[in-house]
Parts: sequence; structure tokens; C-alpha cells
Amino acid sequence: MPRSLKYALAVIAVLALLPLALVAKARVATSPRPRVHLIFDMDNQPKFKAQSANPLFADGRAMRLPVPGTVARGTLVPQEVATGRKGVQWLEVIPVPVDRQLLLRGQERYNIFCAPCHGYSGYGDGAVQRRAERLEEGTWTPVASFHTETARARPVGYIFNAITNGVRTMPPYGAQIPVEDRWAIVAYVKALQRSQWATLADVPKEVRPQLEVRMREHDGTR
Amino acid sequence: MSEHGRSRWVFPPWVNQLRVVAGVALVVIPVYLVVLVGFGASPRTTDVGYAPEQPVPYSHALHVGQLGLDCRYCHNTVEEAAKAAIPPTQTCMNCHARIRAASPKLLSVRESYATGMPIPWVRVHDLPDYVYFDHSAHVRRGVGCVSCHGRVDTMEVVQQVEPLSMGWCLDCHRNPDPHLRPPELVTSMDWVPPEKPEVYGRRLREQLGIRPSTDCGTCHR
Repeated sequence: MPRSLKYALAVIAVLALLPLALVAKARVATSPRPRVHLIFDMDNQPKFKAQSANPLFADGRAMRLPVPGTVARGTLVPQEVATGRKGVQWLEVIPVPVDRQLLLRGQERYNIFCAPCHGYSGYGDGAVQRRAERLEEGTWTPVASFHTETARARPVGYIFNAITNGVRTMPPYGAQIPVEDRWAIVAYVKALQRSQWATLADVPKEVRPQLEVRMREHDGTR
Repeated sequence: MSEHGRSRWVFPPWVNQLRVVAGVALVVIPVYLVVLVGFGASPRTTDVGYAPEQPVPYSHALHVGQLGLDCRYCHNTVEEAAKAAIPPTQTCMNCHARIRAASPKLLSVRESYATGMPIPWVRVHDLPDYVYFDHSAHVRRGVGCVSCHGRVDTMEVVQQVEPLSMGWCLDCHRNPDPHLRPPELVTSMDWVPPEKPEVYGRRLREQLGIRPSTDCGTCHR
């Protein structure tokens, strides 16, 4: 075999390894470049999906913003339920049925939306609060505790309104949390407050002895 | 005709060696092509590892991993809607109106908040337009976020970790047991089943009556 042919075969064999090496690299490394699209099929269709861009509109949103004050069909609730007040008075009683289901829902939603600042027990010691403290930027107002006399005296309507529209430096969460969930959170906040000021008389009789033992061990009084 | 002249028309002896080369090539080339196309065209090669640069260097490792924010704090539509929405700028400003309020990294967030123009986030997980995936159907039945999105709580830059191919979807639709968890724990990133995943998942599937469909019309309309 002529030498030139042998060399050519060797070069082809080595070059053939290159695509394999590229494939191997693509399988282990991340890449910011758009995905390789081998077969297009109808992967990208000329239609607009949720949160996609539409150059026809000045703001580029394919989804148009509803007119302020729009109420989606089937979501209209009585004024008191939607605002937490009757006339100018804060509601003193939660206007939806409060049961175990609602409290559990409230606990879950509280832990998602409120606990980052207010803390899981409501003392105002959430992870975001602690980070803001560490950063010492001077722009942060410490989160209030739910267990002060003032906080405990707040009517439920006030708490609902604080979630919906924000209060002082707290931002509004009305857009993030639906009405029912906001009342569930209110119910849970009330339960949290009760839990931190509970007396032995609040505990069912059957489990009281158990608790008394624990309290003596702990040397606690409350 | 001279001796030399005639040899121009006769194959030289070394051509016999080419038969061996051709034989080897006949075996090696098809194997090579199958391996190359099989691995090269696989979504694990073309799609997994996609980590686009975002307009804001948002770190899930910080917000989820360190601060412990729940996925649903930002992606709050995930339990009700097909799409786990990218949050509006307002959600960022909930905290960043007062934390890192002057950070240059957050410039485009503040701009977006002031002008009302959306932040052009780049979509990482993008299914073909003929697939109608519904987040709520999966999340409410206890398929954890981590099953499809990986350990987002450790990612500085979000990347695709699963192929999101049809075969991959069907693997789970045919045998969901190892991927099920109690629906209230879907957002937990480090949850491990208390017993063998198949056994635990099977019990959950029977309790909750989960029957994933493999009909074409389930995902394609």
C-alpha cells in the first residue's frame, strides 16, 4: 500500500473520533447556547403561549393585562370577604367557615408566603429578616412580631387587609395569594398567636398530665 | 507494447490489502454511524445541560438553597395552572425594594418595575408546541419539582437536567411509583422516601387513585 494512502486512512480514522468527542462533551458540559434542534417538526409554531412575547404590542407581552378592577368570572365574592371590612369597620370575625382544613391550608400558605420574613412561629425572625440584618444596609425595617400586645389585638379584617394591600413597609400580596387563601392565612396567624399565649386550661384534659411533666422538666411556667 | 506500459492496466499487488480495509470499513462504519446518531441525536446530548444566560443573574442557590424560599412563593400559579409562571417583577421587588436596593445586578429589575416593561427572562425548559403539559396535574398528584427540574436549590444558573423527551415522559407515565411523594411535599428538594421508592410510591398511587394515561390525547391535542 502506498504510504500516502496509509496516512489518509489514519487521518480519516482520527477525524472520525472528533464528532464522538464533541458528543461526549455535549453530554457532560452545560452550555448557554440555544439547544441543537435536529428535526424541527412543529416544535415552534406561530402561536402565542402563556407569557410568550408578541412584538405587535409596545410592551412585548402576548398576554394583555386586565383593566384594573377586573373580576374574573366566578371569582366575585361579597365585599366584606374581598376587603376585610364592613363599611369602615374591620371585620372581627373571619367571614368564611373556619375548620381544620382551612387552618391546615393556612399553615401551608403561611409557610410559603409569610414565613420568609415573619418566621415559622411569627416572631419576625424569618430567613429574609435574618439576611437583611446581616447585610446591614440600613434600608430594611425589622419585621414585626405577631406576639406583641398590639399585634394580638388586631382584628382579623386588619390582618386580611395587611396581606392584601401591604402595611407600612410590607408589600401587598393580594396579587400573589387568592382571597380564600388569605383568609386561611389569617386563621392560621390567629392560631399561631393563640399558641404562644396558651395556658394549661387551653389543653385538653387527657393530655394535661403529660404536658405538666414536660413543663416541670423544662422549668417553664407558661 | 513494453513491460512498463502494460503494467499501467494491471492492479498492483498491494490492492489486495484493500479488501481487508474494505471489510473492516464495512463493519466499523455502520457501527460508528449508529453510535454517533444514537448518542449525538439523543435529547440527553442536545437538550440536557442547556443553561442560558439570564437578563438578571438570579441565583436559585441563594434564594431557595440558603434562604429556603418555597418554589411557590414565586411560581405561585403552579398548583392551579398548566404553567408555573415566571413571577412578575413585583415579586422581586417584595424584598428588593429594601434589600440590595442599589445593587447593579438588579438594575434591570428596577428598570422593569419603573417602566412596566417585562424582564426578558429566557425560557430554560421548553417543550415542543404540540405538547400540552400541565404542571397542576402533576404537582397536585405528588410528582416533586425535583423529579423533572433537578436540584434547583443548588443551581447558580438554572440548567435543564432531564431530557424532557417523549420517551422520558412515558417512562414515568407507565411506572410512576418511584417518582411519587405526598402532595404536600412536592416542593421539598431533599425529600427521600421512608422506604423503597417503588413500595412507598405504589401505596401512594393506590391511596390517591393515580392512573397516569398513556393515550396520545393526554399530551397531544
